[in-house]
Order: sequence, then C-alpha cells, then structure tokens
Amino acid sequence: MKRVLFIFVGILILLVPLGLLSENPAWGEWDSEYFKEKLGFIPAGIEKVESVLHLKALLPDYSLPGANEVVGYYVSALVGVLLIGGFYYLIYFFVRKRA
Amino acid sequence: MHIPDGYISPTTAVVSYLVAIPLWMYGFKKLKEKLNEETLPIIAALSALSFVIMMFNIPVPGGTTAHAVGAVAIAILFGPWVAFVSVSLVLLIQAVVFGDGGISAFAINSLAMGFVGGFVGYYVFSLLKDKTKYAPFIAGYLGILASAIVIGFVLGIQPLFWSDNGKPLYFPFDLKTTLIAMIGVHLIIGIAEGILTQIVYKIAESKGVLV
Repeated sequence: MKRVLFIFVGILILLVPLGLLSENPAWGEWDSEYFKEKLGFIPAGIEKVESVLHLKALLPDYSLPGANEVVGYYVSALVGVLLIGGFYYLIYFFVRKRA
Repeated sequence: MHIPDGYISPTTAVVSYLVAIPLWMYGFKKLKEKLNEETLPIIAALSALSFVIMMFNIPVPGGTTAHAVGAVAIAILFGPWVAFVSVSLVLLIQAVVFGDGGISAFAINSLAMGFVGGFVGYYVFSLLKDKTKYAPFIAGYLGILASAIVIGFVLGIQPLFWSDNGKPLYFPFDLKTTLIAMIGVHLIIGIAEGILTQIVYKIAESKGVLV
C-alpha cells in the first residue's frame, strides 16, 4: 500500500499548481483589508495581530519570497511533505529506541 | 478552514488549548501504539497526503475557495485518534512554516479538522460500512461538514461575547452568517473529501491492509 500511496502523493505534488488557479481566499481567511472594505474598520484584535505574526512565516502562504508563484508552491509542497515524513520517522525512532 | 491569528479572542484560544492538550496526549499515546514498521510509511504518507490535498484550493460559488482535509481517510484506516494527531501535526507545520492558520488558533483548528472530522467520519463509516460500498464517501462528506460547523460556530460566537461598544474585537460576523457560509461551502467541498476518502479506502482494500 505504501508504494501506491507514495505514487498518489507524488502525482498530487506534480499537480499542486492547480491549487493556485483561483485567487480567491477561503471563507474566513481574509486579509485585514477585507474587513476595512466590508465594515469600514478592522477589528482591533485582527489589526493588532496581523502585522506582527502573519508575515514571519518562512514560506508565507506557500510562497517563496522573491520567487515565481508556481516555484514557491512546489517548494512549499516538498518542504511540507519532507517535514511531515521526517517527523514520523523521528517519532518512530524514539518509540523503538525506548521499546 | 484555517482560522488565522487575531480572529478568535484570547479566551477562546486558551479554552481550546485546555481542551486539546489532554486529547493530544492521549492521541499521541494511541499513535505510538499503532506505529510499527508496516504502518509508519502508510501513516506518514496519509499525513503528507492531507498536507498536499489542503493546497488544492477549489473554487466555490460565492467568491471563495476551500479544500479537502484528508482526516477521515486516516480515521477509517487507523482510528480517529491517529487521525486527530496526524492532522494536528500537519496543521502545526502549516501554521509555523507557512503562516496558514494561526498559532493561537492551532488548537481549535486541530479540534475541528482533526478531532471532530476524524471522529464523525470514523463513526459514520462504522455505521454504514456493512450497508453500502459508498460508506467511505459518506463518512468523508459528513466528517468535513462537521469540521466546518465547528469552525463556523467558533467564529460566529466571537462578536457575541467580545465586542467593545458594539464594535467586534475579533471575528466580526454573527453566528448565522458564519454557519451558513461554512456549511454552504462544505456541502460542495464535502464531495472532494468524500472522493478522497473513497480512493484511499479502495487502495487499502485492494492491498489488504484493512484492519
């Protein structure tokens, strides 16, 4: 089963730029500008936090700062998958070591 | 479905962490029990699948997008606790590395997408598996819908409790709006989660890994 799944994930990674086709954000995941437009103001809590935290991500919104959008998306998919895989092997390593 | 930082009040964040922490601890114990040479690459691949599938933003009428989660597939194959912990790990990486979903909202996002999605999907599948061959599809569909309802509920109660002279401090739209939006969107996206769940189940079935 793992072989089929690896292939499945691999194909999805190749196709991942399809996820960029729509510019629209998810419902309830807007930039603070959206609130300004809709309400005339940005709720205080959202305004306070957005500038501080959001942009500090390494690959903000699955993009590589300065790089092409598609390249950034590919890099993000690979980094994410490798991190997740690495995490599980690490957990397993410690589980087995203790056993 | 990833609530960003600033959208929920500190109280909501703290309460959600207080609920999530013991569940994570128990779930992690369950995960360790299930991990062996055979399951490790499969659980890791399904978690990677969950990560990648969330990058496929599917356009939905109303000018928004949404995505499948992949929680129910893990829940059906390895149990809801493994689904909860796996999806939480994915969400943690998304929050920290990609800024998708807030750190303060990590617990509630995990509870909605991982815990509620995983458990609802798991029990729906258990109920239907002997009745229809589309049990995985229905489980996936209802699982992600349940996740969306939790997110809609948590967002919608923000202006109810946390406003300053009628001005909302955090997420501003009321419960009716958030529930209608989240349910509406995921009545469509549920199809994607359903198909994904059915495919993964088919693969597992054909390889004889079902327990």
